[in-house]
Amino acid sequence: MTGTSVRLFGAAVFAIAALYTLQADTYQITFGDVLGPSVFPIIVGIPMMILSASLVVFPTGTVDWPGRDRLWRQAAALAVFIGYVLVMEQVGFPIATAALIALVGIIMGGPPWHAVALGVVFGPGLWALFDQVLGLPLDFLGDLFG
Amino acid sequence: MEVLSLIGSGFLVALTPLNIGLLLMGCFVGTLLGALPGLGPVNGVAVLIPLTFAFGFDPTSSLILLCAVYFGCMYGGRISSILLNIPGDEPAIMTTLDGYPMAVQGQAANALAISGVASFVGATIAVIGLSLFAPVLARAAIHFGPADYFALYILAFATIGGIAGVDPRKTLLSALIGLMLATVGIDPISGVPRYTMDNFHLYDGIQPIVALVGLFAISEILLLLEKSAKDRPKAIKVDRWMPQWSAIWPTRWAMLRGSGVGFVAGVLPGAGASLGSFMAYVFEKQKSNGKGTFGKGDPRGVAAPESGNNAAAGGALIPMLSLGVPGSGTTAVLLAMLISLNVQPGPLLFERQPDLVWGLVASLYLANIALLILNLPMIGIFTRLMMTPTWALMPVVAAVTFVGVYGISNSIFDLELMVFFGIIGYIMRKLDISLVPLVLGLLLGGDMERALRRAMSISDGDWSILIASPISITLYVLTVGFLALSVWLAVRDHKQTQAERLTEG
Repeated sequence: MTGTSVRLFGAAVFAIAALYTLQADTYQITFGDVLGPSVFPIIVGIPMMILSASLVVFPTGTVDWPGRDRLWRQAAALAVFIGYVLVMEQVGFPIATAALIALVGIIMGGPPWHAVALGVVFGPGLWALFDQVLGLPLDFLGDLFG
Repeated sequence: MEVLSLIGSGFLVALTPLNIGLLLMGCFVGTLLGALPGLGPVNGVAVLIPLTFAFGFDPTSSLILLCAVYFGCMYGGRISSILLNIPGDEPAIMTTLDGYPMAVQGQAANALAISGVASFVGATIAVIGLSLFAPVLARAAIHFGPADYFALYILAFATIGGIAGVDPRKTLLSALIGLMLATVGIDPISGVPRYTMDNFHLYDGIQPIVALVGLFAISEILLLLEKSAKDRPKAIKVDRWMPQWSAIWPTRWAMLRGSGVGFVAGVLPGAGASLGSFMAYVFEKQKSNGKGTFGKGDPRGVAAPESGNNAAAGGALIPMLSLGVPGSGTTAVLLAMLISLNVQPGPLLFERQPDLVWGLVASLYLANIALLILNLPMIGIFTRLMMTPTWALMPVVAAVTFVGVYGISNSIFDLELMVFFGIIGYIMRKLDISLVPLVLGLLLGGDMERALRRAMSISDGDWSILIASPISITLYVLTVGFLALSVWLAVRDHKQTQAERLTEG
């Protein structure tokens, strides 16, 4: 059915906006400026609730979600990103980045060996650029090996 | 003239070896980013911001680098439009309409030359306009009180992307989500932590840079994954690169008209380069399509949108610099960088940091000359680099964004936040909800709230101060006018598509 995605999005935003507006009321102080910290969030939250509710009732536009195989690729890429963030400080920057580049390259449909070669070059290459040339400290080996 | 001496002093800033080097680098990288399908100006500049921080340049040099990238993207977008029939970035969509047919007919060199010269004309006219009008606007904005600023922010949010034809409710909702995110963190006035969910990482609020790199760059990778890797485009072979002067000269009026239309579109808040090139093309088609040659390789159909998008890109810098309210997605990203470097654009910027403003303006004049050289005699380099496959390009871009963001804060939490914003950005883009208002809301939300609270402190809680000055009343009238126009356009489009559906069925 057309509009389901927009309806779901509207409902989610409505729920968040409602919680947001309710929570704003708890930010009460008796000193400081006239308006206090709670009024602006309420000014934002109420039109948000109205607009998102109107999207639930009258959704517009059609959405083409990708097919199942594409969704798997996207999920795989996200898993690689999250994995990278989680292990980066443990295994060190060059290894983690080489793996990131190689895996995302393969997921994007590159020839596997070429993608691995790209990672092997750019993982340490980016570390050298940032750590050695630009002076941003990045772990070389990480907590696990270092 | 006062402006000339100011520009002269700007050239002293622009002509230091560092700034010239950054300018040339920015022009080259920008043209390349524009030419590569998939990386447009917003993504390109967003990815480069963390890098710019890593280099540790002062705000003037950083701004020169990123504006050169911005202008370069506008020049480069046309290359893939003409040779691949794929726009290198969003504003270059209109250039495919007549540029690709020209290339198919063996006129590729002429199409590239016409669009290159048109880019130069449009961008130069816009920089001249920037030199003349930005100081005037800044001087007028000195008289703005807090209540007027509040009204100005309302106008900016109501108009951003509003006339582009998408559902205006979606655009407004996006802006409100941005404003909501801007309130996360310790309230600077009362010291109360708001919406931090007791997570100390959120006490400082959400870093706009982290959010926007995730929203644009990570979501772009997710969008690219939807496309099949197999259907790689083939570029049209170009036999000779030398254009004919006789082909360029007849398009001069199209270039000038396109520049004028594009510049106006750029200055208006929330329109940006895509609208500039669109309006320039439509305007030129109405004016010159006597023989019905538009869409079949008419050189004027290449000249008008290209001069239009470049003029709009330059025009969009005017409200960003003189009011602190960006006119497009890329200028919003530039604003994020300036704020992060503790530079607050707005009327006072012209008084307090004339070096930055006029150094940038002078650099933009130089950038146009550099870009003309890069895009006419040296265009062969870009047509070769343009064919870099996506599977090799995007993983490296992803890695650079991760390092860049990690380099700013050394915080794993920020990286997680970036991936989270990538998912949000992907969903919103799929639902046809523009991300630019969200970024703008996140950027300006703090200032907007401060303006409101300062105004209310002045009036001691009397809300009528918000409509007490002629400036704020004018701004609200404009806001209502824009909103009415965008609602009317949306309703009209909706009826049209319904009518089309009925006739199809």
